Amino acid sequence: MKDLTVSSDAPGQRLFVLGNEAIARGAIEAGVQVAAAYPGTPSSEILETMSGVAKELDMYVEWSTNEKVAFEVALAASICGVRALASMKHVGVNVAHDPLMTASYIGAKGGLVLLSADDPWAWSSQNEQDNRYIALQGYIPVLEPSSIQEAKDMMADAFKLSEQFGQLFMLRSVTRIGHARGDITLGEISHERRKGQFVKDRTKLVYTPREARINKPLMLERFDKIKKAVNTLPYNQLKLASSAKLGIIACGLSYSYTLEAVKWLGIEDRVSILKIGTPNPLPEELVIRLLSSVKEVLVAEELDPFVELHVKAIAGEHNIPVKIHGKDLLPRIGELSTRKLTEAIAKLTKARTPVDFASIDKLEQETAPLLPWRPPALCPGCPHRASHYAIRVASRRVARELGKEIEPIYPGDIGCYALAYNPPQEASDTIICMGGSFGIANGLAHVVDVPIVAHLGDSTFFHAGIPPLVNAVYNKANITMVIMDNSATAMTGFQPHPGTGYTAMGEETVMLKPEEIARACGVKFVEVVDPFDLKTAAETIEKAIRFEGPAVVVSRRLCAIIDQREKKKRKEKIIPYRVDQDKCNEKCNACIELLGCPAIIKEGTKTVIDSSLCTGCGICAQVCPYKAIVPE
Amino acid sequence: MGKEFNILITGVGGQGVILMSELLGKAAVADNLRVRGSEILGMAVRGGSVTSAIRIGEDVYGPLIPTGKCNALVGMEPSEALRNISYLSKSTLVLLNTVVTVPFTVSIGESTYPSLEEILRQLGKASDRIIQLDAAKTAQDAGSRLATNVVMLGALFGTGQLPIKTATIKEAIQAHFPAKVAPVNIKAFNLGYEACRQAIK
Repeated sequence: MKDLTVSSDAPGQRLFVLGNEAIARGAIEAGVQVAAAYPGTPSSEILETMSGVAKELDMYVEWSTNEKVAFEVALAASICGVRALASMKHVGVNVAHDPLMTASYIGAKGGLVLLSADDPWAWSSQNEQDNRYIALQGYIPVLEPSSIQEAKDMMADAFKLSEQFGQLFMLRSVTRIGHARGDITLGEISHERRKGQFVKDRTKLVYTPREARINKPLMLERFDKIKKAVNTLPYNQLKLASSAKLGIIACGLSYSYTLEAVKWLGIEDRVSILKIGTPNPLPEELVIRLLSSVKEVLVAEELDPFVELHVKAIAGEHNIPVKIHGKDLLPRIGELSTRKLTEAIAKLTKARTPVDFASIDKLEQETAPLLPWRPPALCPGCPHRASHYAIRVASRRVARELGKEIEPIYPGDIGCYALAYNPPQEASDTIICMGGSFGIANGLAHVVDVPIVAHLGDSTFFHAGIPPLVNAVYNKANITMVIMDNSATAMTGFQPHPGTGYTAMGEETVMLKPEEIARACGVKFVEVVDPFDLKTAAETIEKAIRFEGPAVVVSRRLCAIIDQREKKKRKEKIIPYRVDQDKCNEKCNACIELLGCPAIIKEGTKTVIDSSLCTGCGICAQVCPYKAIVPE
Repeated sequence: MGKEFNILITGVGGQGVILMSELLGKAAVADNLRVRGSEILGMAVRGGSVTSAIRIGEDVYGPLIPTGKCNALVGMEPSEALRNISYLSKSTLVLLNTVVTVPFTVSIGESTYPSLEEILRQLGKASDRIIQLDAAKTAQDAGSRLATNVVMLGALFGTGQLPIKTATIKEAIQAHFPAKVAPVNIKAFNLGYEACRQAIK
């Protein structure tokens, strides 16, 4: 096996990688000097990959507190003539939206690329927004790859294009690019390292109404030049079949599915295909050539009809009599697939589908009721499980006093703790966006009269939890804010953040404490608890709920996965718990129903603990009314 | 050999599904084959369902296996194999580790787990070529239960259908594991390989 890595200077060699590693490699080949990001699936591995080789390649790489800051860091580098990347998931771009819209007025000096990782089917997201619309709004040209090889090549090229046209570029990845695997052929790594130079330029960099009015026409000029140039970029390709009645316009990854579908149907010689690598702006000349050569067109793209609407506009403007299909035959929801393309194309060409999909669907439907439900769950030993339990006990105690009908509200947030939204804990009443728990709690406080206990994690607190905390103090929102501090951005792979004491490049730094920030912001009730001491944790949260005014409880204990790793390293013995069957009331099930720990299972009527999963946290022992759970 | 060979590996977070596809991918590249793939992890690896596709050959473009186009399904867990029944066709090789992992939703009464007979009956409606293995026991025989995934990898090569050379995947296994545990894994691979050969005789 060859010993190649993403930082190997080995042009022409092939390497098996994750799509996000391919994207990172593209930035490395371009000689990017600054990369900033906030973790978010499916984008996290890009910056992780770069941080691993940052020192070796003389790059500056940081995990920023949020996407807005990450984008501003990259923008500043670009302003100083240095190539810079900002990487984030699709909803992260919302957070960066404010500087983004003016950045396109500024343009780019050093190549500036925004990586937006969209998530069709919302595999790990709260929505499936299509960020090509954000790009459209900001006059940001978009490159959309059809494979991970192209993702790498486009990323490397994006920096050159950005400098050539003086404009910020977006690379739109999707889950099936970032989290795809495959072989890529490596390109050359640029070792050019520029010295950043800030040139004072009020007209270009200081935005008052005057500069907006001066720079918008310049931005439009740049965009027009790009509009012409995309017709000859290699990422857009037109293949006309001489006898074709049907044309397919396939954007990004849809192109791969289209190639497979056409081959599967055996009609390669009967369809013309226009591959789109730049959905914004579209290669208009190529689109016109395709539209003029066929009777019907199918536009294939994931999520919204972005290309479709523009193609229809082009056809209308040029009076081309062609029937344009798209989202009438392909779904707006979820990912596309070879099957979906095959069925849509078969419908238009009257070709026979190679497989009897209906009978497969029937078998699948018949199978569904047999399958057990296997959702992701909080890990055994996860401190969030204990925090959720303590919140529930404390809130119920207060609610009971207030009256029978009183039901506390638990606004939740983005992170591992959200996994407890499933039964049996059902611990979140709202999950909307980063920091949304505290924000929603602020609003609830002024319209309902029940205990409001919001929770978010440490990384989320630094990302978007501080402004709503300040708001609660300023506007006197009577809410309890629990910060579940497991000292990790655990959901996305344990990236460091301002509370962990080290940076993306592995350097030691200050360790910020949420409780100190809360006190400095004027919160009068701030306590720190260990969630594994359930009694004290619940009592403290109860006091916080009873406290008149905003209250903060930091529930702090290290993420169970990190804790187990560290114990293993120290060769510390883990003592799992077991159920004393003489004491256990088989009908009670309190441990199972209150905690939902994957290590506690039923064997027939017996309740038992799987010692291979148990981490010895002992939360179940504290919950058991019969004292039947004991260390092994 | 056709120009497309599609492998789907299904299991539960923590069973080493992703490692199997990484080893297959590296070996495919070493053998100068084109390779594409993708995985579904859901919200995280926290005990949820995991599937990983590895596709080898010149006619492969997309990262996902089309419906009904899987050549070999490696089922690390019976119900998770069943969950992916739509990828199967009559000729798909199904390699099934019969060791069950019951999700916690069964304990809390939110769902039920089917019997192994039911799972096999249902899979049998889709494919005629199901091979059952107790991979955990075989891994134990090799020296570690942790090598269950490598046993299944061995079984996959034991089918004799793969475009990757057996020597190459062994090299990939050897290179991946620390020297101390590599021999156990090579042994696990060999036992899985043999178990499959016996089963299809």
